[in-house]
Amino acid sequence: MKLQPRQQLLEIWSAAVRASLRDKNKDWHWGGRHGSNSISDAEQLLCFMYPASELPEFRLDTPDATSDDVLDSLTQLGDSVEIPKRLLALIDQYLVSYTDTDGRPIFAGGSYFLSLESGEEITPQQRALDVVDSYSMSITLMLGTLGFLKVFRSSVRREELHQKISDLEVRASNRLSAAMVGLLRSFTVNVFEPGSSQGKALLRTANQTKVHERRIQEELQKSLSEVRAGLRDLTIGSGAQVELDNPNLLFECGWAWGIVQNAPEVVTDLQVGIQPKGVAPENPFLYFTVNALVGLVDLWSERTRVLGLLNDDQQQLANALQRRWDITQNYWRTIATFGKGRWPLEDIPWRTTDGKESDYYSLGVTAMVVQYLVRSRAGDVDLGRVAGVLEELAKSARITRRPVATDRSAVALHHPGVKVTLVGSEELGPQLVWQVSDFAITLLKRTIWVASIAQSTRTRERLHSLADQIWDHIEERRFFRLPLKGLWDDASNVYAEVSESQSEVSWYFTERVVEFLVTIALTSRESPLRSQQLVDLTGELLAEAEHLLNREQVIRPRQPGQRAQSSITTVAAGLTRARAIMSERPASALALINEALLELDRLAAARENASEAM
Amino acid sequence: MLVFAISDKGGTGRSVTSSNIVYRRALQGQDVCYLDFDFGSPTVGAIFRVSGAARGTLKGGLHRYLEGEIAEPTRIDVWVESDRDALRSKPPGAGQMVLFPGDEGGAEFPTFEGEMVERCVRLFAKLQEQFDLVMVDLSAGRSHAALLALAATARLPKIPCRWLVFHRWTRQHILAADGLVTGTHGLLDAGEAHGHHRALLADRIRFVRTAVLDPGAAELDGLRDTQKTWLSEFDRELRELASRHGVGRTSMLGKVPLDPVLQWREQLITDEDVQGTMIANVETVVAFDELAKKIVDDAAWEGL
Repeated sequence: MKLQPRQQLLEIWSAAVRASLRDKNKDWHWGGRHGSNSISDAEQLLCFMYPASELPEFRLDTPDATSDDVLDSLTQLGDSVEIPKRLLALIDQYLVSYTDTDGRPIFAGGSYFLSLESGEEITPQQRALDVVDSYSMSITLMLGTLGFLKVFRSSVRREELHQKISDLEVRASNRLSAAMVGLLRSFTVNVFEPGSSQGKALLRTANQTKVHERRIQEELQKSLSEVRAGLRDLTIGSGAQVELDNPNLLFECGWAWGIVQNAPEVVTDLQVGIQPKGVAPENPFLYFTVNALVGLVDLWSERTRVLGLLNDDQQQLANALQRRWDITQNYWRTIATFGKGRWPLEDIPWRTTDGKESDYYSLGVTAMVVQYLVRSRAGDVDLGRVAGVLEELAKSARITRRPVATDRSAVALHHPGVKVTLVGSEELGPQLVWQVSDFAITLLKRTIWVASIAQSTRTRERLHSLADQIWDHIEERRFFRLPLKGLWDDASNVYAEVSESQSEVSWYFTERVVEFLVTIALTSRESPLRSQQLVDLTGELLAEAEHLLNREQVIRPRQPGQRAQSSITTVAAGLTRARAIMSERPASALALINEALLELDRLAAARENASEAM
Repeated sequence: MLVFAISDKGGTGRSVTSSNIVYRRALQGQDVCYLDFDFGSPTVGAIFRVSGAARGTLKGGLHRYLEGEIAEPTRIDVWVESDRDALRSKPPGAGQMVLFPGDEGGAEFPTFEGEMVERCVRLFAKLQEQFDLVMVDLSAGRSHAALLALAATARLPKIPCRWLVFHRWTRQHILAADGLVTGTHGLLDAGEAHGHHRALLADRIRFVRTAVLDPGAAELDGLRDTQKTWLSEFDRELRELASRHGVGRTSMLGKVPLDPVLQWREQLITDEDVQGTMIANVETVVAFDELAKKIVDDAAWEGL
């Protein structure tokens, strides 16, 4: 891998500060390409908070320990003491902006909503609709915030700062609860007849080996029986009241784009404010499902548990969400890897049950397959198949292949992006769409993810070289002129077809790049992959070397003050070091042993030479 | 404002750093004075290159004033009496820079009594009116001079006063600096015994790191990679140690990089030394300048 995550992250930090403090009086400027809204602003904050909460080297919550290059990159925000205080103020601003006058946290899509027909005026009620993206982003941001506050508190002595931290903690925790409730109320199960258009689409996807439809239906029902049972047991939130008893019906589950119609209120003692009525129909959307699944993982991450960021009531909501997470993940990976022949996932592009096809959906489904493979410690055969899909997607999306003029749909994946129609929103005004343009960076994230669990060096190498190529593509899409230099996303750098050059930063894209770099930094901290063969070989070499060293020490007469003695000392030190690191870094140990063996052999050869000439 | 310079161990560069801070503050246009309370070794005249007071003065310095032998301690106007050409004439816009040396042959006081505190209080109160910054250089370790300063300032609650604890960036120095402040009979203990409010006094203490080797500095380009790696890893460990002992960045006012000139000769670093002969590093002067500003900047003392 060519990537240097630390360097890259620091560059992004200083670029993000520069872009955020553009105004003359150096006030913080919220918002980017699509203006300011609850998601974009969270993304902007997460560009800082995410590395700061995930990577020990980037922590800003313990000013005493922050390293100098990190401070240098944020120097426009102030010194080590001012930076955390500034962050507190920004989090405060965010929480104030996105809390209604009645205290209900706001998760509105706002300026991220676009109308299907350009020029149609989106109504204020539509702009105020909650979106799953916002819940998911808020969970990540609020958990990051709570952890930050918890650690920062211990460096603080002044009473007024303590009070401010406590106040922020309460508000951030409320927003977290509200986001969890929102996700519980936007989960949905859609039941349909096998003969309906949805049923046919699902069966076609599952039936890659072209067996009889009747048989495929039976087999599919059988492998989904566990999911079906799980869905029947759901209690709080939406998706719990669905009639699943008829074993002949097919279904799909996941997250709608927002709160679903008739979603029951979640009964809880937590301060979550009024729970609004939903307008989204009870159809899961692949994009929002993946989005929710990725964001939810933070709720049961090690950090959340170690720092104890959830209280008992929140823990209860988190459990309810985790069950939905398990079920959904299970459902989608069952469909995606169904059958004995080619996986439905390998049949690119993925077709959703409402008849939409896109490479983007294939990419979405890989997320769930990979999540499953990570948890099941899958073998490299399966990982190799996923790697094939990823390579294929990179080609057809014109990332690793040169873009051709005729292939407009591939370019449209990146700019302006895939349009997801938000069914149900038209009741309040014009038809709304959600525009998704993170294909390239999401593909890169998946690639690295799979590479990190691959056991064989070949699969790993293959994925790393793919990742390098995708990263080259993404780097080219950076802005290279001030004031946005170093941020994303300007697709016109790469695709001649994209005529309009961008003049605003996309926090949406930049935040995802930051997430990716953090993942890279986290994986490179782990110890390298070791093969048992290498460990065994090293052990045998070490045994020989140590034996030879012992012999050398027995034979050699004591000659004080001679340099030869020191070469033996060096050999001995090298071997001690080799033994110490052998189990963790066998290849490095091997190199040390080689050097020692060479030196020992030189001495032995010299001795043999001497006896020859007698 | 009264500023006390103290360190636990000798050789921290306390005197040379505080002298340079005073010098920078004068260049910034403030009237400053420097009191040599290092009674055991009154040599601060050497730093200012005032030959008449290189080892203390013979005309009656702080020792004899505090013992009540003379009514006024000798004042030396550095801009007039320094032997160094660069210091000889006051630059336009600069403030007064006055040195109060100790007595030649003077020694550490074995103890101090009420009269002496009284005289010290009078001196501080008077100088506070005449100067914007009064820098008092105390000796290393837990000295009677430090106790005298604590006793005197406890009786002058209205006069703003701050304490700078100098330490080098090593394990021993970090532990020692913490011990000097929070240890038994440390500054806080002693301050409390003399009537200071412990928490308020703690708010007025900041650390200054001296002779800091920055692992990223350009001068270190000649080092081997293994040395650089070791340095930056050790630096990280020291940072952790420092923050565990309350000597971390949040309680630090500033740091002065290692400068070869100061290693061999305690002196004021003038702009001529940096831009003309280029014997000193510009980073050193920047650090002094910044300290001189921060020392009176309330925001820098606000903390967390």
